[in-house]
Amino acid sequence: MTSMKTRGRRSALVAAGIAAVTALALTACAPPGAAEPDPTSGSSGEAGGSLKVGYISPTTGNFAVAGQEMVDGWNLYWELNGAEVNGITIETIVEDDAGNPETSLTKARKLVEQDEVDFIVGPLIANTALAVAEYTSSVGIPNLHPVAASDDLTQRNANDLTVRTGSMGGSQANYPGGEWAATEGGFDTAVTLCADYAFGWESCAGFVQGFTQNGGEVVEQIWFPNTTTDFSTYVSQIQAAGADVVYVATAGGAPGPNFLNAYQGLGLDPGKLLMNCCSLDQGTLRAMGDQVVGVKSVSYWAEGRDSDAVAEFIEAYKEFSDGKVPGAYVAGGYMTASLVASVLAEKGLVTGEELVSAITEYTFEDSIFGRVSWDDYNNMVGPVYVREVTAGDDGNFYNTPIATFEDVDQWLGRTPEEALAQPTYSQTFQGLE
Amino acid sequence: MSNRIVETRTVRTFGAPRRDRVQLMNLGLLGALLVVAIVLPYLGVTGFVISLVSTILIAATLAASVNFLAGNGGMVSLGHAGIAAASAYGAGWASREGFDPGMQVVFALGMTLAASLVYGLLSMRTSGIYFLMVTLAVGMLIYGLAFRLSSVTGGENGISGIERPEWMGSYWIYYYVVLAAFVAATAILYVVGNSPFGASLRGIRDSESRMRSLGYSVRSYKLGAFMISGTIAGLAGLLAVWHTHFVSPSSAGVDRSVHLIVMVILGGVGTLLGPLIGAAIVVLVENVLSSHVDRWPTILGLIFILVILFARAGIAGSTRKLFRRLRARRESAVSPPSPPPPGRSDTSVTPENNTAEQHQGKDLQ
Repeated sequence: MTSMKTRGRRSALVAAGIAAVTALALTACAPPGAAEPDPTSGSSGEAGGSLKVGYISPTTGNFAVAGQEMVDGWNLYWELNGAEVNGITIETIVEDDAGNPETSLTKARKLVEQDEVDFIVGPLIANTALAVAEYTSSVGIPNLHPVAASDDLTQRNANDLTVRTGSMGGSQANYPGGEWAATEGGFDTAVTLCADYAFGWESCAGFVQGFTQNGGEVVEQIWFPNTTTDFSTYVSQIQAAGADVVYVATAGGAPGPNFLNAYQGLGLDPGKLLMNCCSLDQGTLRAMGDQVVGVKSVSYWAEGRDSDAVAEFIEAYKEFSDGKVPGAYVAGGYMTASLVASVLAEKGLVTGEELVSAITEYTFEDSIFGRVSWDDYNNMVGPVYVREVTAGDDGNFYNTPIATFEDVDQWLGRTPEEALAQPTYSQTFQGLE
Repeated sequence: MSNRIVETRTVRTFGAPRRDRVQLMNLGLLGALLVVAIVLPYLGVTGFVISLVSTILIAATLAASVNFLAGNGGMVSLGHAGIAAASAYGAGWASREGFDPGMQVVFALGMTLAASLVYGLLSMRTSGIYFLMVTLAVGMLIYGLAFRLSSVTGGENGISGIERPEWMGSYWIYYYVVLAAFVAATAILYVVGNSPFGASLRGIRDSESRMRSLGYSVRSYKLGAFMISGTIAGLAGLLAVWHTHFVSPSSAGVDRSVHLIVMVILGGVGTLLGPLIGAAIVVLVENVLSSHVDRWPTILGLIFILVILFARAGIAGSTRKLFRRLRARRESAVSPPSPPPPGRSDTSVTPENNTAEQHQGKDLQ
């Protein structure tokens, strides 16, 4: 018995010895440059110097339009105000990830290890954003998100170095829409039509919770695949449901106009519609114009809002893009740039966690989104607008706010702990008990 | 039992591997590449380059599994990304549930075997375009499951934070792990491809009915081939998820499987080095060229079209053909009647081989 024990102990010792020697040998064999770069080496709190920014966005592939707009917004700000703040020059390296998480990660690695950027902005698609945020936090580099709407980015996957700077979570941005429909809108029952994937589930969950918490009743929830082009069957289902209000959430692009054409083609009342940010963005307004005047939607971005910051931004973008009005993606890029500029002007050159805490402690009084601040999970807390399409004097169409919900956070009336204890939103779980 | 022996012997007679000069050259080239790959981290390159080469090697391992089926069995699979993703999800789920990396391997292996078996069982009765469609369908099924079963797979957001075992934590050790896995996978596929089993597969590829009438169980051979190829694909999936610490449905997507076929065709179907060449081209265009050229997808398309038009056997295959043709021309010009004695020294073999061969050559003379 004892001999067995000692033998066991001896072999354990031998194994430990071998492991130690191997580890030593491995460290001794480490190639030059294997030592991890020190992320906190950047100087801080002083004026002057330069800041290198890596900007990842899908400028080719299925999301090329949105990706390019996101880059345009960022570039526009620096073109307008000069790429120098408080003596600090901003240098941006733009990388294309084609919406593919593996490419996104490789690009992030390239930016951090080869170009040695101070922080990374982007990417756009939810899974690429989550993958990059995970990597950048592991190497101590801040990651700012101008567009990505995935709830988990600042909830279950939140970390000290990831901030949502130019958008809101999917459920957060639609929750006030539900509240508005049940109260001011005066609707009692609702039917929802949402894209059948994470963003659609989150958007719908936001609306449904806002609506039911304020006494409304959701009679039916319909889901459509992202690739749908013909919405007539869905519109018939909506008609059959016979609810007071129809909530529609798409991921932007063709489904918005396609749905509206089918909806109006069957002669249903546009006054009953409430859409999400992306179904009624500038792309839809440019395509449908007069047909959609008066249609309502809910978003954190309202280009028709009466504010100096918005007016200046729209004027600049019109010049930049032959008279187009900027949508939410451009706004996200521009917002992120103006936020970085404001923080640098106030605090001087800050990098790493200092940059993130400088952003999250900052209250941006007159941003293009209105007055925004950040919560403990680095998510934007700010106004959400219920908007109505109006025709502008310049021949463009604008989403003009008709109701404003200030200081909307991502917890939908719960405490963070309660919200985080829930499962993630899906077709079957919409945040209702 | 006696039947079995006869069978094996018959196969040997028409399928035995012959070590011709091209193969030696191939091996020499491989050896040289291996030496470069081993010293690479010491050449002062950045961690990013090492990680990029790891990406290439992982893609090459996956492409090699597709290449094995396509080259030996004539079965072009449009669903191998699905097998790799199944393995990655196995590891990812185990990691999310708090199992240690050892258990991740077990789950990854289990998922790989299960997925390969489903693929194999469904596709072993088919060939050609039907095989393509079945593998495509199963690949879509895995994509759909990854997308839909959000409580298990995290839906579109995927699973992140998957850690590899601690001892391979640093990027350059992991690079050697990936390199070793690639070399081992290539060697295994090479040995299997040149075994009686591989010869029977090629027989099935060339004439299924003849092999059946010779008494071969065509379906079991196909299933076996799929299981071998699928296991290698699963290995690549596990390596990929340990490299990126992340898995999402897009890793099971059809476009990923199509990329694999592009890699195989670019490199040359059925060649030893083809998958590596193809993977290197695709990964480099996707990750490096895209930083400098906006229209990089166009360039990838152009490369593909040019290879199909002018080098239909792929880059490795066409180079081999070119060498053969050049040698044939040279030989016919110098000494047309006498074929070269076997084992004569060759300029392209590795140094160790070189001396041995020269020695042998002298003895023969």
